[in-house]
Amino acid sequence: MIYLSKSLTKLIGELKKLPGVGEKTALRLALHLLKSPANGTALAESLREVQNSVRFCSTCYAITEDDPCYICSGSRDATAICVVEEPQDLMAIERSGAFKGRYHVLHGALSPLNGVMPGNLRINQLLERLRGGMVKEVLLATNFSVEGEATALYLTKLIKPLGIKLTRLAYGIPLGSDLEYVDTATVQKAVEGRNIL
Amino acid sequence: MKLKKIYICSFRNIEKAEIYPDDKFNLIVGNNAQGKTNFLESIYLLGTMKSFRLARNPELIKYGNPFAIVRGLVDNEEVLQEISLSIENAGKKVRINGKPVTQIADFFGCLSMVVFSPEDLAMVRGLPDLRRKYLDRAIFSSDISYLSLHQEFHRILKNRNNLLKREDRNGLDTWTERLAETGARLVVKRVSYIQKITKLLTDFYAIISGHHEQAEVIYRSEVMKKDGTAGSAEEVRLSMLELLHKNASDENRRGLTLTGPHRDDINFSINGKSLKFHGSQGEQRSFILALKMAEIEYIKKLNGNPPILLLDDMTSELDMDRNNNFMEFLKIKDMQVFITTTSLDNITLSGIQNYKVFPVRGGTILQ
Ligand SMILES: [Zn+2]
Repeated sequence: MIYLSKSLTKLIGELKKLPGVGEKTALRLALHLLKSPANGTALAESLREVQNSVRFCSTCYAITEDDPCYICSGSRDATAICVVEEPQDLMAIERSGAFKGRYHVLHGALSPLNGVMPGNLRINQLLERLRGGMVKEVLLATNFSVEGEATALYLTKLIKPLGIKLTRLAYGIPLGSDLEYVDTATVQKAVEGRNIL
Repeated sequence: MKLKKIYICSFRNIEKAEIYPDDKFNLIVGNNAQGKTNFLESIYLLGTMKSFRLARNPELIKYGNPFAIVRGLVDNEEVLQEISLSIENAGKKVRINGKPVTQIADFFGCLSMVVFSPEDLAMVRGLPDLRRKYLDRAIFSSDISYLSLHQEFHRILKNRNNLLKREDRNGLDTWTERLAETGARLVVKRVSYIQKITKLLTDFYAIISGHHEQAEVIYRSEVMKKDGTAGSAEEVRLSMLELLHKNASDENRRGLTLTGPHRDDINFSINGKSLKFHGSQGEQRSFILALKMAEIEYIKKLNGNPPILLLDDMTSELDMDRNNNFMEFLKIKDMQVFITTTSLDNITLSGIQNYKVFPVRGGTILQ
């Protein structure tokens, strides 16, 4: 890369760390921000704001500004919990409108290969919620990937002895795919047709 | 199935080529390292998206070019389809009739083929890994669902092996169960494929060798029953789980999964004696040829028409009689065949009217 200026090089370096952004895109974005200072300032401000105000809900670990989040503090059915891998999976199920209960975000899936062990996920926090005695059903909505399936099986072994009804998203979601990329109608069907484990 | 036209661009040492093959025999002639096998490999990629030499994408692209292109016009029962494959360092993209293909199942079966290369002979005496790869590839070309199951199993295996090397093995039970479940389904598919092939094998062995002997492929696995059958997927799963528990301390010590289809093997035998230890070179060659013929016949039964056959440098490995017998088989089969050879003298062309010769020199294919 041609040396432009120290601060610009630094900005390009930071942009390149973002997922899906390569050298060329980073340069284009940086130059764009440079040419329109108003946009750049707005972006900087919203970044600071997000970092100051957005956190994870201390109950379900979804992304939120208020703690507990609007789902945990609202009037949603507290007897059913839908367990997902990532915040974006929660959004995918919410978009489908098929689930009326609350959520629990694990922040990942079991994958020794990628260094993700049970201790790295919000599993103990989930079990604690379940021991509260309110929950009657847990819907396992981890992805249909090798890691997502293993996570569902691992949770099944832990939750079954608690005597809580366990369900898994119905197939129909293409095998190996991430919930996040599946269309809304399919997610809806998978939630409604969930199977008892 | 016939390949009517092939267009190649910046693939390996081939800069550009546009070829109109014959419906029957295509002889690709040239000295070593001129590009004969590259040509054959490009056809194989069109049907499978994989290299039969297990090459990575960057190796497939001609040096200094950003990508390689292989395009083929396929006639399948008089329906013409264009398969277009572009290869970049980061991945391969396929279009069929101009439309991008996202699911492997849509691509699969558009161009089915069987390859026969010198490595196939080496597998008789080689390491089990070679025979497993052969078996997996053969099943894959007749069963789409086998590929994803195979990938799933190996991803579980990698995770489980990683876990066995750790101090913290929380979750091992989960991976063990997933391994046994997918592993059992894999074993059942393998055993059922072998059963179907073995039925055809003895007849073809007689054609090639001139001897009526019992030619068999036998699946070797700890999970097989005493009578040589595998039983249902559920039965295999249970015996696999039992073995995994039995070997637990060994596994912990070695940090490796010691039971599963990744450790299984296949045996080739004639009249009950193992080809690996007792077979003459001639018997081994006859057996492998017969095995390929069985594979072709099986795909033909399944699809209604025969696959394309790619013969890489085979003819020199066979003596005249076997060579003639095999060519006779190909002549009556109405198959399209691509053969690479260093010299036309290696091939028995008597009685063959329809053939084209493609000399290959320094990456240029002449017609
Ligand atoms: Zn919450």
